[in-house]
Amino acid sequence: MKFRTLIQRNLRFHWRAHLGVVLGAAIGSAALIGALVVGDSVKGSLRERALSGLGNASFLLHTPDRYFSEFLPPAVETIANHRALNAAFRNASQNTLSNLPITINPDFSSRTMLVLRGTVSRTDAAQRINQVQVVGISDFASVLYPAAMTEGPKQVREISLTNSCVLNQRLAAALGLEAGSEIIIRFNKAASLSVDAAITRKNEQTATLRLRVATVATNGMLADFSPIPTAGKPVTVFIPLNELSSAAGVPAFEESGAINTWLLPTVVGWGGQRSPRSTQSGPSAMLEDGVKWVKQKLNLSSDHANPPHVELTTARQLTELSSLLSNAWNFQNVKLGQLRVVGRVAVLKTDRVFLDPPVARSALAAVTNAQPILTYLATLLRAGTNATPYSMVTAAGAPWTPVDLRDDEIVVSQWLADDLHVKPGDEIALSYFLPESGAKLEEATNTFRVRSIVPLEKPWADRTLMPDFPGIEKAESTRDWDAGFPLTYEIRKQDDDYWKQHRGTPKAFITLAAGQKMWGNRFGNLTAIRFPMPTNAIAEAYRIALEKAILANLKPEELGLRFEPVRDQALKAAEESQDFGGLFLGFSFFLIAAALLLMAMLFQFGLEQRAPEIGTLLALGFTPKQVRKLLVREGVVLAFIGGVLGAVGGIYFAKTMLHGLTTVWRDAVGATALQFHVTGQTLVIGLFASVVVSAITLWLALRKFVKREPRKLLAGETAEAHSKGQNLRAEVIAYGALVAGVALAGWAIVSGNTANAGAFFGAGALVLIAGLGFVSARLVGLVANDRATEQRTNEIISLGSLALRGCARRRKRSLGTVAMLACGSFLIVSIGVFRLDANRDATEKTSGAGGFALIGETTMPVVQDLNSQSGRDFFALSDQDMQGVSIVPFRVREGDEASCLNLNAAQKPRLLGVKPEALAGRFAFQKLMSGTDVKTSGWSLLSKTSVPDRAPVEPDEVPAIGDANSIQWAMKKKVGDTIDYVDERGQPFKVRIVGAVANSILQGQLIIDEAEFVKRFPGQSGYRMFLMDVPTNRVTEISATLSRAMQDVGLELTPAPTRLAQFNAVQNTYLGTFQVLGGLGLLLGSVGLGIVVLRNVLERRGELAVLVAVGFRRKQVQRLLLMENGALLAAGLGVGVIAAAVAVLPAVLSPAAQLPASSLATTLVAILLNGLLWTWVATRFAVRGDLLRALRNE
Amino acid sequence: MSALLQLTDVTKCYAAAAGANALPVLNGIALEVARGETLAIIGPSGSGKSTLLQIIGTLDKATTGEVLLDGKNLATLSELELASVRNQQIGFVFQAHYLLPQCTVWENVLVPTLANPSPSPLPAKRGEGGRRPGEGNSAAKTESVESRAERLLKRVGLGDRLHHRPGQLSGGERQRVAVVRALINQPQLLLADEPTGALDHASATSLSQLLVELNQEEGVTLIVVTHASDLAKRMGRVLELQDGKLVQR
Repeated sequence: MKFRTLIQRNLRFHWRAHLGVVLGAAIGSAALIGALVVGDSVKGSLRERALSGLGNASFLLHTPDRYFSEFLPPAVETIANHRALNAAFRNASQNTLSNLPITINPDFSSRTMLVLRGTVSRTDAAQRINQVQVVGISDFASVLYPAAMTEGPKQVREISLTNSCVLNQRLAAALGLEAGSEIIIRFNKAASLSVDAAITRKNEQTATLRLRVATVATNGMLADFSPIPTAGKPVTVFIPLNELSSAAGVPAFEESGAINTWLLPTVVGWGGQRSPRSTQSGPSAMLEDGVKWVKQKLNLSSDHANPPHVELTTARQLTELSSLLSNAWNFQNVKLGQLRVVGRVAVLKTDRVFLDPPVARSALAAVTNAQPILTYLATLLRAGTNATPYSMVTAAGAPWTPVDLRDDEIVVSQWLADDLHVKPGDEIALSYFLPESGAKLEEATNTFRVRSIVPLEKPWADRTLMPDFPGIEKAESTRDWDAGFPLTYEIRKQDDDYWKQHRGTPKAFITLAAGQKMWGNRFGNLTAIRFPMPTNAIAEAYRIALEKAILANLKPEELGLRFEPVRDQALKAAEESQDFGGLFLGFSFFLIAAALLLMAMLFQFGLEQRAPEIGTLLALGFTPKQVRKLLVREGVVLAFIGGVLGAVGGIYFAKTMLHGLTTVWRDAVGATALQFHVTGQTLVIGLFASVVVSAITLWLALRKFVKREPRKLLAGETAEAHSKGQNLRAEVIAYGALVAGVALAGWAIVSGNTANAGAFFGAGALVLIAGLGFVSARLVGLVANDRATEQRTNEIISLGSLALRGCARRRKRSLGTVAMLACGSFLIVSIGVFRLDANRDATEKTSGAGGFALIGETTMPVVQDLNSQSGRDFFALSDQDMQGVSIVPFRVREGDEASCLNLNAAQKPRLLGVKPEALAGRFAFQKLMSGTDVKTSGWSLLSKTSVPDRAPVEPDEVPAIGDANSIQWAMKKKVGDTIDYVDERGQPFKVRIVGAVANSILQGQLIIDEAEFVKRFPGQSGYRMFLMDVPTNRVTEISATLSRAMQDVGLELTPAPTRLAQFNAVQNTYLGTFQVLGGLGLLLGSVGLGIVVLRNVLERRGELAVLVAVGFRRKQVQRLLLMENGALLAAGLGVGVIAAAVAVLPAVLSPAAQLPASSLATTLVAILLNGLLWTWVATRFAVRGDLLRALRNE
Repeated sequence: MSALLQLTDVTKCYAAAAGANALPVLNGIALEVARGETLAIIGPSGSGKSTLLQIIGTLDKATTGEVLLDGKNLATLSELELASVRNQQIGFVFQAHYLLPQCTVWENVLVPTLANPSPSPLPAKRGEGGRRPGEGNSAAKTESVESRAERLLKRVGLGDRLHHRPGQLSGGERQRVAVVRALINQPQLLLADEPTGALDHASATSLSQLLVELNQEEGVTLIVVTHASDLAKRMGRVLELQDGKLVQR
């Protein structure tokens, strides 16, 4: 005879009692495992979605405002393969392939595109879709066909279209169009100079194409690709590359198209290669592909020895890619500038007017005698009453200016001297547009003293000193200038004659320092650099050497040419996404608790039935520990069986939850499509966890049972003793909790914290504990032996008092039932207090909407100031249209959507740049960085020059403010933390979160000072997001007016409360889910109540039989039992509802209270009826049959 | 022969309602039982006979007084030591047999051995005065518990019912299994509380005879609480519990 044998016997013999326990364990396990599987499914869905949008890409190079030649990627691959083959030849000659470098497998192609942002409309204007990806591509196979059909030996032949386009399925569905329809595509034209510059054309920014839809891409490899992270799937139109390039005015490359996006599906580097086809088989298979290719190239047999495997980290691969790019790029295929030799001078200029600062830096470092030049337009040169309009002025050193020329001195040409009637010593006022004033065209004036007058001959008479200002350079006359500013000064005949004769020859010269102080800007502070050639140098050789020297000091990243490991990033974002497993565990907590409680109760019932058996074991010399061990082992087996059943049930639970998340609860997951995923690991972990939890619950249930005296157990006495001490204890706890609860609620009311849901929820919980304490004390008092009981013996007893005594017979069971019902009803009723109302106080500046009525987002950047007359005039908006409207504009740097609507972890959230003072007093700050002492406005912390409010950040850090929910849940950060970014020049920098606003429309991004934004991202022109203050009675009207006026830039307007409601819907949906699952738990609790009733009655059949024997009718017995258990039900619900009433006080006290009284009442009535039903069923079942037989059996 | 069991001034009271005096059941019991002796305790219902037996069997605690078993004061022992006493030194036979219905006869008899995970081999029989070898008398042959169980079950006439379950036995047979179970660890003291109370006359007689024979064969001291005069007469000494005290009959 072994312990194991006894356990087996017990399990088999008591199977009926154990069935209920197993069922309870199964329900709890199903909820627990199901929640974890939901988490698996969300992660799996996000991972799938992330990878499907990338095609087979591992790396991405995307430059929004710089273009490079279509031939650059193949040049990189050629260099990589060349290196590999050279090394392979060396090794092969030694008859060995050890340390063979592996490189790109040509079976897998790079994908290159030109990606712009635009809008697409139906030709009948019935629908316009904004934020569309307009993609120029040469090979449509990757758009139309899945990966398997476009990679590998059997490549589908290239497909190209003419005058047609392909829509992705999402865009076609949004437009309601099919193949054969026509669409109108609008997108921003490429500008050589940013539209934020003063001297650049502001009109004709957009280009338009009208194309026929050739087909709709459904499962193409790149159909869902987006170089920019989006919350939902992108809407994309694919156009032939040459058509898009031409329409967008993208700078042409010799014999190749211009692109700005390069998807690299394979890793280029030494020793490692990622093959999308063999992702399942791991690195070994990946390397085999590369080895096979090299062997083939070297005509080696396939059974030649392979090299050892070498793994590369992503960081190493990125380094290799950067190195290969550095070797492949040049001035021609990346348009770094034009380096030409003119005479004996090499001249470096650029189509972008201002030389990129990294290029300028590198060029100046390349040779020692470089001559930096900055030429700019002076709108007016005035001396006294004489003025010369629209003249070029050059800031440079020798030979144009004397070495000792001061910064406040100017050298003028003879022509200018004559025109202004000035001589050396006279003063000239030089007016100019501030370079970055954009459409505002802010003018500034500096004064210079004439140092000398120079003749109109070389070196001063040099028209090539003027850069290629767009709209100016090719104009035939001054009056024909179209450079983004009105010609307000009179153009005289001599001015026009000068232009015709001398074109852009500068009329004056100042020091470089003075010029850079006035005209230096974020786009650059030089317009040209000249390199005098050495005497015996050959022109072309010198040019080539100079180009090499400049490139040698330049890194591709400095010009935004940086590879991003998009595959790794996408997988990381999915991996770090919202923990839906944990979330659903929380939602299901009450259901799991109810199941475990039910399981424990049934197990306890079983123990009570086996009391004599347990007493026998103790009497035979088993220690309580041995008996406990025996029973726990039984319990573990039951928990395991329940867990296995629960694992199966959990899968169905998860599927049901997923169905809910995609239907009634879809507000919680935004645009994410969810599929069922499950891993074996999750099932094992869930099973293990549920078995442990169940086993612990059972251990707790039997812990005290085996400590009872063997004598009592043998006699079947399982009831607990009652004592005066227990009564006192319960009363102390009850009063203490009540006082604490009332005090907490009172404090919240008195201190004006009536909106503090947490405080009232806490007070409600304390009232709940107090209520349960009073119930417990009452139950003890009913059966305790005390003087009061003795005195009551003379009172006439009633059916009701008899019923009450019955409640106290099994105090712990009764209390457990009351507690389950009270907790369930409390949670379900009170959780509604946390629902967020977007409309509450929406017009207040400190509300979540910031007092703004509308949120606008444009597809194309808006340069104009919509608060100014000129800006409104540009969009044909009248004063009447815009009366009472003020707009706060934001610059936008795309990034990860960091709101509750995006389940992925936001690694680099979208950045918005704004002038901090524009948001003063708006929104309510929840938290500010410690160490800050804000005297004016929390928003002033954004400015690094703000006095007195200044955030304690490092010099290279950028302060940012975000929404508290976004920061905590989407970014997984807190105030004071930093996030790493890389600017347009490839320089890493940190954004430090210095403040968080509460529950706002600013979810999804981080806000920084506009000054910092333009410094870090100079290429991001214009504004693309707007918060609008609009009179409340004109919101609809103004919304329609603005949408119409700004449709060409793709303006989309959303009422701010609506946007906030979308965010709030996530939390409200979570609460709703909790209530539904909590309701299930309560239902289970009601079942538990029924089982308790049934058990109680069956135990007392003898007593009930005695009642019948002394003349009670069966109906009276039933009524007695109903009253008894109805009292428990009423106590449970009563305590729960009263506690919940305290918890929902914020909603009641709020003037805009929207307490859902009817739905709450319905819920409570449903709970009451459900409880009564189970009680009635159990009672009917228990008193059926011949009760008197129980007496005879006794 | 030294006394195996000594009770000195043992009382047992039960708590009453507040303000009232405690209810005494045993009132200064004094008792000495020698090794190998057989003793019957009789008395009317509610006189406290079962209470006295449960105190002796460590299933209950005396309110005052001393209970010495083989020289050890039971009141000073911890719960673990008391469990060991119940397992190794005392065998209990209850009126309701309390056999485990899910186990066979064979398994029921061996259940007490599970409480002592490393039992040493038992002597085949106790020596004179109910002592085990090493307790003062000559050594006897050792046997395993399985052999002992088989032997005892055969002895009580259930050798061919080893794999039957209690539900398949008669009342008398079940009680005989309970007796074998009580003796499996060769206790010094066998306590029987109304062992024949639930049996018919024939079974009761048979069981009574069995108990006496086992006392002689196994050398176990036997104390029986009973109403049955037939059983009481077979015991070497009969005491009556009257008003909480033991008086010689």
